[in-house]
Amino acid sequence: MLKQLKSIIILAMIALVTLCGATSCNSSKGMSKKEYKAAVKQAEHDLNAILNDETDWTLEEQLDRINELKKIDFSKKNPEIVEMIERAEQKVTNAIAERDRIAEQKRLEEEQRLRELEEQNKPKTALTDYFTMIANAKDVTTANNFIKEALKMFESPDAVVLIRLNNYGDYDRPTTAVNYLNYLKDQKKVNVAVDNVKYNEEHKITELELIKK
Amino acid sequence: MKKVLFAIAFAFFALTGYQAFAQEPELSPERKQAIDSLALEKVRDLSKYVKLIGSKNTPWSEANRVIDRAEELFAPDAEIGVSSLAKTKIEYYKVRQYLERLMRLNYDRVEIDWYKIQYVSDLQRQPDGTYVGVITIFQTFKGYDAEGRLIYQDTTKKDITVYVKRKETQIGGRLIGFWDVLLGDMRVKETTKK
Repeated sequence: MLKQLKSIIILAMIALVTLCGATSCNSSKGMSKKEYKAAVKQAEHDLNAILNDETDWTLEEQLDRINELKKIDFSKKNPEIVEMIERAEQKVTNAIAERDRIAEQKRLEEEQRLRELEEQNKPKTALTDYFTMIANAKDVTTANNFIKEALKMFESPDAVVLIRLNNYGDYDRPTTAVNYLNYLKDQKKVNVAVDNVKYNEEHKITELELIKK
Repeated sequence: MKKVLFAIAFAFFALTGYQAFAQEPELSPERKQAIDSLALEKVRDLSKYVKLIGSKNTPWSEANRVIDRAEELFAPDAEIGVSSLAKTKIEYYKVRQYLERLMRLNYDRVEIDWYKIQYVSDLQRQPDGTYVGVITIFQTFKGYDAEGRLIYQDTTKKDITVYVKRKETQIGGRLIGFWDVLLGDMRVKETTKK
């Protein structure tokens, strides 16, 4: 009886080995030879598409696919696939880093643009406020203090001030920031509006264009 | 043949003459109004400067700065007439000399006011393109002593010739066309006690 059982076990083992050989059991876990072959073919196709920029997948989808392929052991029969996976992974990782870098740069540029826009609007209001404060100052000392403060908004006291008379290209004689602010103090009147302001990189006014009201 | 040549010559001169005229067209009423107002404003600005320079309350450094600004309003060599009820002769001074004398007038308090500032002769275009006109002003002058007593006063009518010329300058790579207003002589027309 024991002999019979031993024979059955040996036969079963022989049958199992024979069966495995017949179905070409793959080194990849749970994958038949046919399935492995298909997997290699698909991996080659997908990796080539990634490496040659011939895919519509997003970078994240490409990385997901690469991670899936990394789970299959191609190292024994197809080391070239492993090499392709490494190259594809490097490529996609670099592309993601570059994309994120550009996005961050754009975000910073947009922030800077909004900040500049905000600052550009600020002095425009403040400058006209200074005009009124200088013209209405109760005495010369007060007016001079306002002039000193207002001049900080200009690149230099000699920054150009243009006064446009109308929309036909007629201007008054060009003057300078310091002379115009003193003019407001002397004449005690403001009969202009700010029409255009040019700034330097430090956001100081280089040219001020006013228009007669 | 002569008639043909004459016709060609006539056509040529008529055409070139027209072109010369067309290059400097008359200003539109809106633009003319703008320079009329600009010239009048310069005289009003001068009235403020004269008041500041004459005032004993104006700090010395300020008065000197204002003299510079006032002088810039005038054409070089322009003169200003000075009259007095005590004298029949009208003295004429260079602008800077007049303004410096005004700053040092021998009164403890001075009040100067200009009024009725208006054109007596509208700006007229001259052949060289300059616009010339005459603006009249009335000036009341009051001088007080240390006790605050009015010791002199008069009213003077003065005529100021104004010159307005179109000029161009490059600013920031842009060609800017501007009207340069310069005041000429300021002539005393009459002085009365009041």
